[in-house]
Amino acid sequence: MIFAGLPLAQWLGVLAAAAAFATALYILKLRRRAVAVPFSKLWERILRDKEATSLFSKLKRLLSLLLQIALLALLAISLGDPRAAATLIKGRNLVVLVDASASMKATDVAPNRLGVAKDEVKKLIRGLGGSDRMLIAQMDASITPTGPMSGDTSDLERALDQIQATDARADFPRALRFATDALRGVENAEIVVVSDGSLGPAQDSTGPVHLGDAKLSYVPVGKGSRNVAVTAFSVRRYPLDKSRYEVMLEVTNTGPEPEEIEMKLFGDGQVVDITKLKLKPGERLPRFYPNLSGASRTLEAKIQPLGSSKDELPADDHAYALLPERRRAKILVVTSGNTYLEAALLLDEYLDVTLISPRDYLAKGNEAKAEVIVFDGVTPSSPPRAHAIYLDPRGPGSPVKVDAEIKSPGFDKIERRHPIVRWTALDDVNIARGHKLVPEPNDKVIGGSDQGAILVTGTRNGFRFVALGFDIRESDLPLRVAWPLLLLNSINFFLEENASYISSFRTGDVFRIPIVTEAARAELSLPAEKGATPRKELVPVFEGRAVYLGQNAGFYELLAADAKPGAEGAAAGKAQFAANLLDREESTLAPVAELTVDGKKATAVEGFTVGVRREIWIYLLIAAVILTAIEWATYHRRLTV
Amino acid sequence: MGLLDRVLGRKESSPARGKGDDELFDDEFQRKLDYLAVVSRKVFAGRMRAERRTKKSGSGVEFADHRDYQPGDDFRYLDWNVYQRFGRLLVRLYEEEEDLAIYFIVDQSRSMAFGDAQKFRYAKRVAAALAYVGLANLDRVSIVATAENVTERMQETRGKARIFKVFRFLTELKAEGGTDLGDAMKTFVAQNKRRGLAVLISDLYDPAGFEKGLNVLRYNKFDPFVVHIADPAEAKPKLAGDVLLYDCETGDEREVTVTAAVLQRFEKVYAEYLSEIDRFCATHQVPYIRADIQVPFEELVLRVFRRGGFLR
Repeated sequence: MIFAGLPLAQWLGVLAAAAAFATALYILKLRRRAVAVPFSKLWERILRDKEATSLFSKLKRLLSLLLQIALLALLAISLGDPRAAATLIKGRNLVVLVDASASMKATDVAPNRLGVAKDEVKKLIRGLGGSDRMLIAQMDASITPTGPMSGDTSDLERALDQIQATDARADFPRALRFATDALRGVENAEIVVVSDGSLGPAQDSTGPVHLGDAKLSYVPVGKGSRNVAVTAFSVRRYPLDKSRYEVMLEVTNTGPEPEEIEMKLFGDGQVVDITKLKLKPGERLPRFYPNLSGASRTLEAKIQPLGSSKDELPADDHAYALLPERRRAKILVVTSGNTYLEAALLLDEYLDVTLISPRDYLAKGNEAKAEVIVFDGVTPSSPPRAHAIYLDPRGPGSPVKVDAEIKSPGFDKIERRHPIVRWTALDDVNIARGHKLVPEPNDKVIGGSDQGAILVTGTRNGFRFVALGFDIRESDLPLRVAWPLLLLNSINFFLEENASYISSFRTGDVFRIPIVTEAARAELSLPAEKGATPRKELVPVFEGRAVYLGQNAGFYELLAADAKPGAEGAAAGKAQFAANLLDREESTLAPVAELTVDGKKATAVEGFTVGVRREIWIYLLIAAVILTAIEWATYHRRLTV
Repeated sequence: MGLLDRVLGRKESSPARGKGDDELFDDEFQRKLDYLAVVSRKVFAGRMRAERRTKKSGSGVEFADHRDYQPGDDFRYLDWNVYQRFGRLLVRLYEEEEDLAIYFIVDQSRSMAFGDAQKFRYAKRVAAALAYVGLANLDRVSIVATAENVTERMQETRGKARIFKVFRFLTELKAEGGTDLGDAMKTFVAQNKRRGLAVLISDLYDPAGFEKGLNVLRYNKFDPFVVHIADPAEAKPKLAGDVLLYDCETGDEREVTVTAAVLQRFEKVYAEYLSEIDRFCATHQVPYIRADIQVPFEELVLRVFRRGGFLR
C-alpha cells in the first residue's frame, strides 16, 4: 500500500487531532434542557427501570464515540490517497475516434448507432483510471476533437455530447493520422475506434497509415443491414430547350433481403412521379426520366419501404438536386444581316435578341444593357463592356490579331473538353477561306487548322470573348447542328450556364461554388428541417468560388457579403446548390466485426470496468458516508444515546 | 426565581393569577350557573332534597318525639299536657330543618397552574358552579384553599346572593406552594367542627400520597367528594432528547433521555396513577369524579349531580 496523497505522518497527525477533538466533545457534557413537570413522582417510576441499565447506556455512548473515531479515521486515511502498489502505473493516453458518418444514423439499434456509440464511450469514460487521459474526436469527412485531452469525467462527457452525425462518409485515414499525431511520444498510447466499421481501407494518397506503438481497439456498433438508398441523382436541362430537363436516378438495395419501395420524385415541392420498385439483394436500379417539365428550380427524390420491407437508414432515402438557373439573357447582334446567325439565336427562347446594324452601333453604341454582343463581320472601335462573339473579326477592334488569309482551313485541332465545343462535330466542316488568328499569351485556342488558329477564346477587360476566324456563310458550318450548338455553348459559357452544371454536390467533398463577389466571405445557410431556422456560416470566397466542406445533405443558399438586397442569381452574389450522400458504401449498413489497420487487428477494449475506480479513497469516503448513515439511524433509534 | 433556576433556564411556573381570571366568572358563566341551578331542581327533585332533618328541639313545626327534661332545657318546649296526664316532665322534640354544610376544598398548589394554568381555572369554575347550586339550595357553603396547608378560607355563607363573594374569593386565589393534602386536611377538620360535605377539587399530585388527606376527612366524619382535575395533555408531554426534568412544586430534578419508548411508558404510568385513585375512592366509598379539563365545566357539574352525593 502506498500513500499518494498526504504522507503517513501527516494524516496520522490529522487523525490524532480529530480523534482528540471528538473525544473531548464526548467528555464535555452538553447542558441539558431544563423542563418542568407537574408531578415528578410519576417520572421516578420510569427512571427506576432506567437506572438499572445505566451501565449499558454508558457502553452505548462509548460505541457512539468509537463510531465517530472510525469515521474520522476513514476520512484521514482517504486524505492519504492510499493505493495498491500494483496500480501505481502510468496512466493510459487514449484517443477515441467516434464515427459520425451517415451510416451512424442507422436506426437498427435504439435510438441509433451514434447514440449507442456514445453510450459505449460513456462506459469507457466512467471506467477510466485515475491517471488515464482521453481525447474524444468526431470522425466524419474531417476529424474534429470535441474537447481537450483530459481525465475529467465531466469534461469528457461534455465533449462526447457535442458529437453529431453528418451525412458524409468518414475519412478514416485522416482520423487515424490525427490520432497517431496526437499520441506521438506519449506512453501507453491507445486509439479506440467506435464505429459500425464501414470505414474503408486505412490508406490515402500518401500511403497506408502506420500506427506506431499505439494500441488499436475497436468498439463495434450496429447489427442490422437492411437498407435501400438513392445512390445517384442528377438533373440537367436540355441545351436547346431549357424549359425541359431530364433526371437520372439510381436506387440500390444494399441489404441482404429483397425490398419493395415507393419512390417519389418532386419538382419544386410538387409530386412529379411515383413509382413502386422491387429490388433484389444488392441490386442497383437506374431510372431515367427524360423530357420532364414543370419544375423551375428544385428536384427531390424520396424513397420509402413498402409492406414488410425495411429501411434502417433514413439519411440516404432523400436526394436533392437543383436545375440550372434560367434567366433571359440580353444579346445584341451587330450585323448587316445574317440569316444563319439570326435563325440559330431563335432556337433558345430565353435569349432576348436585339439586332443592330454596324453603322448604328458604331454611331451610337448600344452595349449598355447587353450581356453578350455578337459582332458579325465587324469590330468595334473600342473593346465592348460585355462578353462578345466575333465572327470573322477584322480591323483594330479585334480582340486578337487577325493575320493573313488562309485558304480552305479546317478544324484540324480541337480542344474537345472546352465547353463551347461540347456536343459539336467540327472535324469535317468545310471552309472556303478564313483568317489566321493570333492569340495573346493567356488566350486559349479551341480550334485551329494546320495553318493557324481559327477559334480562340480569352478574356479582355474582365469580359470573355470567342473569336471565329471565318465568315460562316463561306463555310458549310451553318448547315450543321454544330453551328447553333457552338453559338449557344459560347453564350452559356459567358453566362455560366454551361451544360457541365453540377446539379448536386456530394457530402464530404469540398464544395466550390461560383459566385460573383468582390468580398472575401459569403454567408452560407445550411440545410434545415422544414420550419426550422437554418444555421448560417461564413465561408471564404477564393478566386470567384466560395469554398466549404459540406457534410449535410439538402439545399444550401449562399449570399455574398456585398450582395444587394433582393439579389438573384450567382452573378448578383446569390447562389443555391444541393448536396447529397449518394454513397453506396456508406449506405451499406452491415456492421464490420473486425478492424485491421497497418496489419494490426484491433482488439476489444479492456481495462474499462464501469464503476470500479482504482482510487481507494473513494471507497473510504463511501464507507464514511455509510458509517454516518448508521450513526444517524442508531441515534434516531436511540441506540447510541 | 433563584440563581439555580436561572442557570437551568427554568421559567416561573406559577402565575399569581391565571390568565384571563377577570373573565373567569363573566356573564356567560353566571347564565350557565342559573341554568345549572334550574336543571338541578328539575332533574333531581324528589330524589334529592335540599334539606337535611335532625331530631332536636328547635323551632321546627312538625312534631317528632318526646324526651325527658334535663336541667338547662328551654321551659318553652316542656309538654305541659303530658305533665298533667302522666306527671312527667317531657320536652317536645320537633323535626328541625338543618341546612347542609358544604366545604369546597380547592387545591391551589403550583401543579394546578402547570402549563397555562388551565387546571386551576377549571377548578375555580367547577367550585363556583357547585357553590352556586349549594347556595341556591340554601346550604351553607364554605370555600377553603389549600396547598401545603390551608392557606385561605371563605367563611360559610348561604343564599344565592352571596355567589359574588364566592367569585371574589376564587378570583383572588393564586397558585403557589406545594401539595400536602394530609396536613391541609388535618388543619381543615380542626378549623371546621361542623361536619358536612367536603368537596375536594384537586389534581391529587401529592408527593406524600393523596390517600392521607382523604382518610383524614373520612376519619373525622366528613363526607368527602373528590373532583379530580385532570389534564389529558399531561399524559403525553411534548418532550424529546436529553432533558433535565424538575418538579414544579418540589424542584426535584432528574436527568432523562426522552425517547418514544419512555413517553409510552410514562403514558402507561400516568394511566396506572389514575386507576389507583379510582380504585381507592371506589374501595372507600368516596364519590369520585374525574374532571377532564377538555370537557365543558357545565357538563362536568351535571355529571356531579348524576353521580349523587352532592345534593341530598
